[in-house]
Amino acid sequence: MKANVIGLGIWGRGMTSYADLQRVLELGGLPADAEFLAPKPEAIPARERRRAGLMINLAVSVAHQACEHAGVDKASIPSVFVSSMGDTDITDYMCRKLTQPEKLLSPTKFHNSVHNAPSGYWTISAENRAPSTFVGGDQYSFGAGLLEAVSQVQASNTPVLLVAYDIANQAPFADVTPIGESFAAALVLAPPDAPGVGSELSVSVQLQPLSIAQLQAQGRAYSKVSAPGLDELAAQNPMAGGLALLEQLVNLQQTQTKSAELVLPAASQLALVLDLQAVQRNASNPQTAQVN
Amino acid sequence: MVYVNQLTLTSALGAGLDQMRASLQADHSGLSAAEWPHCDVPCYVGAVNLPVEISVSAQRLSRNNRLVEYALQQDNFAAHVAAAVSRYGAPRVGIVMGTSTSSIDRTEQAYREMGQEEHFAEEFIQPRTHNPHAPGDFLAERLGITGPCITVSAACASSAKVFAVAERWLQQNLVDAVVVGGADTLCLSVIYGFHSLQLVSDEPCRPFSPQRKGISLGEAAGFALLSNEPAELAVLGVGESCDAYHMSSAHPEGLGAELSMQRALAASDIGMQDVDYVNLHGTGTRANDETEGKVCARMASAHTVFSATKGWTGHTLGAAGIVEAVLSMNAILTDLVPGTMHTSCAEPGLPILLESVERRVNTVLSNSFGFGGNNCSVVFARA
Repeated sequence: MKANVIGLGIWGRGMTSYADLQRVLELGGLPADAEFLAPKPEAIPARERRRAGLMINLAVSVAHQACEHAGVDKASIPSVFVSSMGDTDITDYMCRKLTQPEKLLSPTKFHNSVHNAPSGYWTISAENRAPSTFVGGDQYSFGAGLLEAVSQVQASNTPVLLVAYDIANQAPFADVTPIGESFAAALVLAPPDAPGVGSELSVSVQLQPLSIAQLQAQGRAYSKVSAPGLDELAAQNPMAGGLALLEQLVNLQQTQTKSAELVLPAASQLALVLDLQAVQRNASNPQTAQVN
Repeated sequence: MVYVNQLTLTSALGAGLDQMRASLQADHSGLSAAEWPHCDVPCYVGAVNLPVEISVSAQRLSRNNRLVEYALQQDNFAAHVAAAVSRYGAPRVGIVMGTSTSSIDRTEQAYREMGQEEHFAEEFIQPRTHNPHAPGDFLAERLGITGPCITVSAACASSAKVFAVAERWLQQNLVDAVVVGGADTLCLSVIYGFHSLQLVSDEPCRPFSPQRKGISLGEAAGFALLSNEPAELAVLGVGESCDAYHMSSAHPEGLGAELSMQRALAASDIGMQDVDYVNLHGTGTRANDETEGKVCARMASAHTVFSATKGWTGHTLGAAGIVEAVLSMNAILTDLVPGTMHTSCAEPGLPILLESVERRVNTVLSNSFGFGGNNCSVVFARA
């Protein structure tokens, strides 16, 4: 299975755009004092925006970023949203309220508690009526979502938006699955033979499923983030695999390296081997020739 | 198109297909006045009589996972999957589960027992249970499946959308067989959540009745085993869309619902005149039924009959897609179209079946629409 990555979005400590990630990698790492800025996506209509919490704002922000970076039509791109834990702020709110005698829930918090809430806010903000889904895959979520998105690209022969995120949690959730930092990433994946769009980025990704047994037999391990500081962020969020992929994608754009290989988990017994290749631009297409 | 090799359903209509068919034949609804622990909302629910001896490991313990386990034991479903696993190999079988509640019943219990403390008691430290993927992950372990495994959670469209994923995986030769399904449990989050939106009826739900007062919640787990091996039933095509309108209200003209139905027909390469029966989403709320009714009236052919089955099972939310998939395929297998239980007269505009009828059924379209404006329609057919 194959697709081209043509756009990125990112939000995490010290990073609110693709350009920030480029700068972090150019400078050799994420500074220890980099701060997490709360996203406030202007794209969400005001009426909806005041109802959205951190997770929705994170997901919708990176979704818009990636589409703008790729230069694709926001109103028609199908989307795959993926999170390991979902909105634990809302789960905590609901479960606490339900321990009280009157059990009065906010209707807004309730409708935001569905795991496809970020997809709902995204589709409203982008006026998008294409198929949209949410995929849960526990700690394997990023790979599971990537497989699903690339499968959709192949079936529909159109670009597909992948949005991956998890938010920081506190006790009691932190006792179960601790998440120390919030992080979100988005990718626009396009058919491999699609004509160039207005993006500076184009990296082909070939996906090869590999069983855990084969992985171990070959003595291979999952890929990790390598830049200092970013590795600490990756250790604090289940979407670490997404950050590892973004790091490689930017490296392929910034250095003379033309290819890279990554291994990410996609299910409890399934790995994905990702073969990344920087795509040669068509020099006659001024929109995509700028990198070469 | 992909084939449906095995089916099972455990809902308020009974455990397994035989009990479900007996309830349908006897015109026996699964709804009863709620006697749910810690629940003071006056309402009717479609509860599953889950035997206490149905158990899962301590790490997996939740009502939702126990419901999954109970459903797997019906109709020899687990044994049929085991045969597929040994035939194709564990890495060549996939899982696509649908849920909205996942194991939130267990999380609610953990908070109740936590009281004023800051931390869960030891028995509730269950990392593989307190998350959206709990049912899919449990299923993989229980069935010894090592291929791709995801849990789709798109509110009430969840376990309809699983058919789209599975069809793609099979067409792309990622796997040779896929277990699809859905599981949702009754819990305080959904009862009090829908109550906060004033959408829970204090009587058994009456979809498409002019006197309808809202939904009756339910719980269920069901599965289908899909492959390219020819069988009596097939998934012809799936259509998906979003409303891009509002988080909890459907688009007033049903723009997303119509797109979803049109896309399902297009994917199946048929028209509405080829559809014998439409299993409506039909929740029983004023706005949803009105919108879906408008869309179906716009699209209806003279030949097609419509019914809503949530008066039989309750609205099982994330499991509604698989519940209604099984009821739709059962109509093909038995030539019995279920009526719209509890509805004695329907809103004008659509040929709504009130009573169950015997009718030759070859092709069924099933609608599932959810919060977030997420819509899915699936076409099932006699292969």
